[in-house]
Amino acid sequence: MASLLEDKSNRLRMTGRGGELVGAYWDELFTARERGAQVVWYNGHALNPLFQAAGISWCHGEAFSARLAAQHLEGPAQLAGEEYGYVNELCSYSRTHLGCAVLTNDFGESETGIVDTVDQRELASRLPEPDFFVNGYQGCSTGQQWDQMSYRILGKKVPIFTLSLPYMFGSKPDAGYLVGEEWETATDYVVDQLEKLIEFLEVQTGRPFDHDKLGEIMSYIKAASQLRREAMALCMAKPAPATYWDWVASIAHINFMPAEQRLIDYFQGVKDEVADRLASGVAGVADERYRLYFDGIMNWNKLGWLARKFADADAAVICGRYTHQNFWQEPQLIDPENPLRGLAQHYLLCSNSQGFKTLKQAMTKDCDDYGIDGVIFHASRTCRAYTNHQHLLARVAENQLGIPTAFFEGDIADAAFYKDEILETRLAALLETIDAKRARN
Amino acid sequence: MEHTAVSPLAAMSRAAEDPTGYVEQWKARTGGRAIAAFPMNFPAEIAHAAGLLPVIVQEDRNPITLGNNLLSEFNCGYSRNLADQAATGRLDAYDGFFMADHCIQLIGAADVIRELTAGRRFYFGQLISSMNDPWTTDQARLTMTDFVDELSSFAGVQITDERLRESIKTYNRGRRLLRALYEQRRSGDSRFTSGELQTMVKSSMVMQREEHNALLEELVAQSSAAPRDDRVRVHLSGHFCHAPKPELLEVIEESGGIVVDDDLFHGARYISTDADESGSPVDALVGQYLDRNVNIPCPTRAQSDVDWDTYLLNAVHSSGAEVVISLLVKYCEPHMLYLPELRKALEAKGIPHLLLETEHEGMPLETMRTRIEAMFEQAKRSRTLTRVPTA
Ligand code: SF4
Ligand code: SF4
Repeated sequence: MASLLEDKSNRLRMTGRGGELVGAYWDELFTARERGAQVVWYNGHALNPLFQAAGISWCHGEAFSARLAAQHLEGPAQLAGEEYGYVNELCSYSRTHLGCAVLTNDFGESETGIVDTVDQRELASRLPEPDFFVNGYQGCSTGQQWDQMSYRILGKKVPIFTLSLPYMFGSKPDAGYLVGEEWETATDYVVDQLEKLIEFLEVQTGRPFDHDKLGEIMSYIKAASQLRREAMALCMAKPAPATYWDWVASIAHINFMPAEQRLIDYFQGVKDEVADRLASGVAGVADERYRLYFDGIMNWNKLGWLARKFADADAAVICGRYTHQNFWQEPQLIDPENPLRGLAQHYLLCSNSQGFKTLKQAMTKDCDDYGIDGVIFHASRTCRAYTNHQHLLARVAENQLGIPTAFFEGDIADAAFYKDEILETRLAALLETIDAKRARN
Repeated sequence: MEHTAVSPLAAMSRAAEDPTGYVEQWKARTGGRAIAAFPMNFPAEIAHAAGLLPVIVQEDRNPITLGNNLLSEFNCGYSRNLADQAATGRLDAYDGFFMADHCIQLIGAADVIRELTAGRRFYFGQLISSMNDPWTTDQARLTMTDFVDELSSFAGVQITDERLRESIKTYNRGRRLLRALYEQRRSGDSRFTSGELQTMVKSSMVMQREEHNALLEELVAQSSAAPRDDRVRVHLSGHFCHAPKPELLEVIEESGGIVVDDDLFHGARYISTDADESGSPVDALVGQYLDRNVNIPCPTRAQSDVDWDTYLLNAVHSSGAEVVISLLVKYCEPHMLYLPELRKALEAKGIPHLLLETEHEGMPLETMRTRIEAMFEQAKRSRTLTRVPTA
């Protein structure tokens, strides 16, 4: 792999500080058992406000796998998964997390062949065993099955709750973004599901659920999310003061960190830094010549690498489906007085649970708003939920918006699928096409 | 009803291999409308009660061309083939599209189809897939009722309880006939090859049910039991949504195996469960949906109190299968997720297990043959060692 000599990416300072917050969260989770806290393993949507209100420590399966991948520590867990029988074409988040379940189960009983004892001890003792599972996956069937498998690996002893959430295909004639019969019916249904989840949590904790606390938590999330969206909107400016990679680096905070004043402070800090940069003409990429939209789930093994790679080509990745169409992106829907509705609606809004009609509309809007020159698609090998619509979206970008596109291959948490040469040549071709188009105009 | 000069099996085979041709003829003959339905839980009885011809779209034999630019190469062959069928006009015979399942790859194909067939109705009514919650029945009932409303309005007829009950009876009759053949196969009758049984099930997903039932009855009347020989007894497992290629079934039989049971979608899985013929027909379809996953658990559903591996061990025990061959559709995630559980359970009981990965194109049949033969030889050797009766 070629090395990039000069780093032309100018990442927000605040995200570095945010990294410490995230580290502190995980350290606290790893000691949950010692503190006598109950632990839930959950997958899918951001159910953490409910767990926080119920006084439970939470581990988001995808987040844990992403963290291991970002720290290049995913190997032992993926090996354990492979040894157990998971084929490498299977979602690498699930393979990593299931590998952790295998290690958690085996640790103390028998040594798992190819994963050495030190690695086993390290991973198994760091990720506390769950007291129960909650699954909250909507579109992706793999997400739902993954917890079913964890449940089996851990000997069918750990209680499991499956939240049933409808995929927003848009079957009804009036279906649309935030409107239509389907949207209203689905909202009511998910609110009802959340009430059932709350009953389950009450049984598991033996305590009544603290609804006031949930309202308070949602008011922190609402404020943080508003700041995040405002900071993002400042990047419509040319050159953009911050990039997609900064929003990726802030996903953990908005997606699963405890909601408290610190969360608001973090996003206030991000917004202030972006505003300062804007005022003083500092850009997120030293010589911004191209403005790109990133479609696809993140390649966590390569976050820093990709940021530098695109910046090296003077390409500022400004926005993307993963960062801009997820994670409490419509804060006005959150009503702290009536928090369940806003929670339900955000779960329904998750972009990998939306049919093409809505995705098309959202990409078109973001490309317009942010003055996008090209769309880059990360074909994440083992996450079909994210690649499903990419070819259709590319057709829209090319044929309807007149924006050139390119695909590169990689994966969420399995580094083996990333091919640097492919990105190199495809990105160069994309930028040449943009140049040619500019020359024509 | 068409009176065929050809044998019942040949008529079924024609429909199974060329569903579009069948649909076009049926439409020309009846003036009716046909809908494309998708595996694996669409309640076809409702469409039938609306006077429509519901056809589960089959994987066809065409190489994937345009489909490869519509879905990723790492989507299962079936979903890419569906996209290809839509892109090349091979779904033009259908007047609408209806789907009840939510495998994420199938959803990807559905969105491609909707986009490329704009103007025709595409209705996705997602059946709840968490199967053992206190609210599962109510939720499934809402979706079934939605299907009744949607299909009524699509067909422009009122689907009454009487009509729906009649359709349930018709479908039950077909399933019962097929199940009887499967049961006979389990107990030692080898009058039909696995390819022929697959043709019967596949054509039942395509043909108008009354016509198919009549052919089945004729076929059963014409044939008589044939005792099984001493080939290695095989249980075929998996292969969702579409049928394994007949040539693969032939390789298994040519290599010295005989399929005695299966849990394939184009097999025992599809015909496993009837709907109640008394009481509310919508409730009957809900009950059928729930019972089916208990009878033969499916890894596209989430149900923590039933297990595919337990089912498989029981099935192997009752059919006397000596080996299990898992047919994995390349990139089929539900199956990939469940495989380790199957492997663990079979290993614990000392049941030999072979995993074969199938693809839409370019399947390495000869390599598969070598692996299958090696497995069968091994099974035969252990027969002599353990003196297991051969039939
Ligand atoms: S395939 Fe993608 S959406 Fe599905 S569980 Fe894995 S990461 Fe989540
Ligand atoms: S269940 Fe498997 S075969 Fe069926 S559409 Fe999904 S991935 Fe393809």
